[in-house]
Parts: sequence; C-alpha cells; structure tokens
Amino acid sequence: MKKVLGNKKAIALYMVPGLLLYTCFLIVPVIWSFYYTVFDGSPGIKWQFCGLDNYIKLFTDKQFMQALIVNCKYIVIVMTGQILLGLAMALMFHFWLRHCKSLVRTIVFFPVVLPVVAVAQLFTKIYEVQPYYGLLNSVLANIGLEKHVQAWLGQKSTALGSLSAMDIWTSIGFYAIIFYGALLDVSQDVVEAARIDGARSFQLFRYILLPLIRPIMVVCLVFSFTGTVKMFDSALALTGGGPSGATKSLSLYMYSVAFTYSKVGYASIIAIVVFLICVVGSFFIKKLDRDVTC
Amino acid sequence: MKKKSVSVLLCISMIAVMLAGCGNSAAAPEAAPAEKTETAVEATADTAEATEETAASAESRTIKILSMWPEDDAATTANGSIITAMCEQYKAEVDPNFTWEFEYVDSDNLKTKVQTLAASDDLPDIFAYDAGTPLVDLIDADLVLDVTKALTDEGVYDKLDNGATTYLAALTGTEDIYDLPLGLNIEGFWYNKALFEQAGIKEAPATWDEMLADADKLLAAGIQPFATGAGDSWPATRLIHAYAIRSMGKDCMQAAADGTEAYNSAGFVEAAQTIQDMNQKGYFGVGATTVDQNTAADMVLAGEAAMIYNGSWYTSALNADTNPAGADGIGFFNIPTVAGGKGAATEYAMNCGTILCMNKSSYDDTMAAFLKYFVSNVGDYSMNNFGALKGYVIENYPADMSNYTKLVAEEMEKVTGSANWFEALMNGELSTIAQENVQSLMNGDMTAQEYCDAMQECYEATR
Repeated sequence: MKKVLGNKKAIALYMVPGLLLYTCFLIVPVIWSFYYTVFDGSPGIKWQFCGLDNYIKLFTDKQFMQALIVNCKYIVIVMTGQILLGLAMALMFHFWLRHCKSLVRTIVFFPVVLPVVAVAQLFTKIYEVQPYYGLLNSVLANIGLEKHVQAWLGQKSTALGSLSAMDIWTSIGFYAIIFYGALLDVSQDVVEAARIDGARSFQLFRYILLPLIRPIMVVCLVFSFTGTVKMFDSALALTGGGPSGATKSLSLYMYSVAFTYSKVGYASIIAIVVFLICVVGSFFIKKLDRDVTC
Repeated sequence: MKKKSVSVLLCISMIAVMLAGCGNSAAAPEAAPAEKTETAVEATADTAEATEETAASAESRTIKILSMWPEDDAATTANGSIITAMCEQYKAEVDPNFTWEFEYVDSDNLKTKVQTLAASDDLPDIFAYDAGTPLVDLIDADLVLDVTKALTDEGVYDKLDNGATTYLAALTGTEDIYDLPLGLNIEGFWYNKALFEQAGIKEAPATWDEMLADADKLLAAGIQPFATGAGDSWPATRLIHAYAIRSMGKDCMQAAADGTEAYNSAGFVEAAQTIQDMNQKGYFGVGATTVDQNTAADMVLAGEAAMIYNGSWYTSALNADTNPAGADGIGFFNIPTVAGGKGAATEYAMNCGTILCMNKSSYDDTMAAFLKYFVSNVGDYSMNNFGALKGYVIENYPADMSNYTKLVAEEMEKVTGSANWFEALMNGELSTIAQENVQSLMNGDMTAQEYCDAMQECYEATR
C-alpha cells in the first residue's frame, strides 16, 4: 500500500477524477458567477452588458443591507443557541441521564432527520393564532397570559426570534451528539483526578472538559456558522422572508433578485458576498482556535 | 508490480463508472424502439399490430405541459382538472396516439421554473405563467406563440371571449394576444348571509362607510367581520386596491405605472391608511397577517368570519358539496363606493387568472391540432362540469346552473368598466415591496405614508 501511495502516477490517477468533478461543479460555476456580475437581466431574456453598475448598486441597496443585518442577527442567535444548548444537552447525557441516555439521544436527534418543510408546517401550527390558537398561544391563554397571545410569525418584532427558535430546536440534536462523542473521548481518569483535587462542576467543565473538547468545538462552530450564513430553506418554508423582510436572509434576497426580479447578474454578486462571508468567517474561527492553542 | 496493476485497474474502473454516471441518457430511447421492434418480430400472432403501434408511437410527439395547478384540483380552481380532461378527451375523440406529460410546479416557483427553462431554451409546449409584465419579457425575447395568429390560422379565434382577449391584449400592451385565459374573474366581497342576519344586517352595504358600520355591528355581535389571507400578502394589497379604485377611479394604477400619479400621493396613502385602521380596529381578527387565503375563504364558509374579498374563482369552493354554508348561504356585493370618490358602483376589479402560454419554437402541427381542440371545447367543459367561466365562448349552458354561477353571470352583465389588480402593472421589485410591506402596514409596524413612500422610492429606482 505504501508503495502504491508513493507512486505519483497512481496518486494522480486517484486524484484527477475527483479534481475534475470538483473543478466542473464548483470552481467553474464560481468563476462563471463573476462573469455574470457584469450583466443585467436574465440569460435568454433581456441579457445585456452593464459594466460595474451591479457593484455600485450593491453599496446603495437598502434591501441588501437589511438582508445582511437579518443574516447577521440570525447567525448570532442561532449559533449561540445551537452550540450552547447542544453542549448543555451533551453534558446532560454524559453526567445526568446515563441510565436513559439512548432514549433521550434518540428523541433529541429526531428533529434532525425531519424534512425542513415538515418542521415548518409543524411550527406554523404551533405559532398559529387564527382561526384557532396554536400550541404556544393556547398555553399562554390558559396560564393567564392572554395579553401575550400574538401573531408570532406575522409581525417584525417576533418573526426572526420564532424562526430562530425553530432552527435551534431542529439542529440541537446534531450538535448534542457531536459534543457527546467528544465528551466520551475525555479520559475518565482525568475527570476523576480533577474531582480528587477538589474541582467543582463548573471548574471541571471550564478547566478540564472545555480545553479537551476544543477541537470539536471549532468544528461545530464552523458547521454552525456556514449553516446559518446560508439561511434559506427554513425561512422560505416558515415565513417566506416576511413580514417586511424581517426574516429575509442574503440567500433569500439573492433568490428573489434572480428569479422574481430577473436580475441574475446582480444576484451573482450577492451569491459571491455570501461565499466570501463563509470563507472569511470560517478563517476567523480557525484562527481563533490557533490563537488559543498557542 | 501486481499491486500497481491492480491500482491502475481500479482507477480505470472508477473513471468508467463516473463517466457512465455523467453520460447522456438520450441513448436509451434510441435503444427502446429497436427492442420493441425485435419483440414484435418474435411475436407470432399479432406481429402486424405491434409493428403498427411502434410506427405510430414513433410519429406522435409527447406534449409537455407545465402547470401551477395539480392534475386533480376540482375543489379549488379546477384548472388542473380541466387541462387534464381536455387532454384525455382529445386522446379519446381525436388522436388516440396523443400523449402528454403533466408537470406540476407550485405558484411560488412557477416564474423561477419558467425563466430557468427559457434561459436553457427548454420551455415546455404549454405552460402556465403570470399575465402582465412577466409575460411581456417573454414576448420581447420572442419565446411565446402569437396566439391571435395561431388561432386565426386554425379558424377558432372567435371561440375566445371578446372581453377576455381585449383584457389580455391590454395587459401586455400588444395588439395580438400571446396567452390563453384560464379564468374570467370579477372580484368583490363575499359574505355569509346567516352571520349578517345574526348581527341584524338586512342588506349588503353599498358604500364603504356602510360596510364599516356593518363591521361594527358584527363585532358587537361577537362575529369577526372580515377574513383575509394577509399571510399570502396579495389578498391584503387587493383591499388597498379596492379602496383606491373607488376613491381615485379605476385607472389609478395605470396612472401610477405611467408616472402621472405617485404611489405616495394622498389617494394611495388614504387607501393604505384605511386598511391599517380596519385591522387596528380588529375587523380582521387577531393575527390576520399569518392566515393564508384558502384558510380565510374556508372561515367565511364555516361561519367563522362574515366577509372576505375574493375573486369569482371562489365559486369552485362555493359549488362544492363540502361547502358548509350550503347552496345559497353566501352572497356577493361589489366593492362599495367611497364618499366623494371617482369610482362607480358598476366598475369591477377583474382578472383573467394565471394564463397559459405556448412555446413558439416547438409549435407544430401536433400542437396546432390540440390547441384548436382545446380552445373549441374548454369553455363548455368548464361551465358544465365546474360552473366556471374561463374566458371562452360558451355554446351550451347547463340546464341546472348553480346559484353561485348564476350570481357571477349576473354580476358580469352589470360590468361597465374594469380595473386590474394592485400589482398587475408593477415590475418584480415594486410588486415585492408592495406585498412584503403590507403585513407591516396592517400591524402598524409601518405607517401608511411609509408604506407608500417605499413603493414610490422603488418605482423611481427601477422604472
């Protein structure tokens, strides 16, 4: 095996097909997107060269700025929720729920395998207010909080929070399982030694567990960040980006620009911005890890 | 050496599998007829028949239809059911070899799908699309069939309703029409008679003030006065439009599109303010901005709300056996007049629904023959089976027309002038702004002035 892997021709033969596919389906479309940015209209329908007009428009477009802000808020809320609650859940599996951890893990992981559209339908019903109260409003009404009954998805102030809650609920199991795997890797001897040295729960977590699971933490942060930057399907299925763009992310805006406004060139710039945010964000998360390690 | 050969062989086989995966599946149909022919030769008894069949299927072409209605949608617009029935009838009565592919795409994705197919020069033979500005882009790109010319050549242009053709031509700003109607609808307020009676309202309101006074009576009686599917946005903008065409006149949207009337002029602000006030007073119930139009429509039928602004496509649901309000439980009144307004009581908001277009490049004899049959029969079929007017001349009315169909036909006779709908003349961006912000307008997150300013700003930026 060593001999085969030492042969450059064999390596090339293994690599070239994959590399070709990667180039065809990823690198070429990205370059193509750059080419599109200097055109206005939709290919085949009113497709004309417009120079740098699309780039200039990007800096004056209020809807783009609004989508960027919404996306940033969503990233902060959902990333925080996914990582913190995922970690908390994993700690619970590991320390408190040892006897029924399999059952709890299955229940917590269950939303991850549900299709987004099905989850959105479920939450639409939970948040419903007309013609009948959904689960949330019913609970509020029944515990004497009638004044808090509201259209959770129909007003700017609550729409993004409601959407974030749904997305955290959906993905929390995924992060919990990853963190749980990392916690299982931590040697029991180290934990025992810390306890003998008098470490309390928080100290054990802060000074022993957290440093040991940091590589997994970084992976989770990257997963969570790239997932939330791409915010699209859940928002489309739950709120359609409304009301008044309160849940319209960059990806949703890009979709509208390309297919509702028929401006594929301008949409390509927005796609490139999303791509750049992903690259830069992931780079900083990795850098953060390196800094801490050093 | 042996290991090296194995690794090279593995690589080659991997590449071969990948190439096979990426290969064009077009080779398959070529092989299929050959196989069929072979089978036919081997068969002893019906060799001749089988060969004939193979030859016929080779000649006929499959018509591709892209629809935004499911194949069986009898309980809603019935358009999918009607298209399917026309295909089946054509196959049974005219061309037994006729085959078609029916593809359904939901209304939200229709435009995206059509534009993507147009860009890749792969438009289906027949496809649903949005009337007005979106269609103009396809006409400009020379992608859709000139329906007037095609139907005139086939001698069936007179099978289209005059009102519908005039309306469609006006929407695209062309002399000829480039689309077929799939509805000739009037819009207005539908009300639950039992709930009106319960609140002591004797007759349908004629003025906007009367309508609001009735809404107060209904509220006092513990009944939700209006249902609206503001979650879908367009039902809410239709209400703004309804008020605007009564206060500013039926041509106000045309004036705004031409730039002679600003979208943030006093008239539009007043219209937006009226809808906001109606919601703030609780006429639409709690959380109206989260309800979809189908649910809202069902609420009126089920007696959970008294009135709804809707189009005459509502008759499909009204005529259905499942309508809890019964065969005469729902009434209709046109948009009430506004005191001091320019709009007349006999002017209606009208539309032709989502339309059908034909791919110009794939239009051939097969399509021409089907189109001729479709246009000649769809009017009678939809009236007799669904009680729906689709924009075609009807030669045989059913003997037992339902009350609701009669009601619409009677209202149609009163029409002296018509207006489109709120977004008909808006481009994609403006239409999106108008619809996206209307929920905030209703909730009070945005003032009427801000709502209208946002539209005017978008109009100026994208005109």
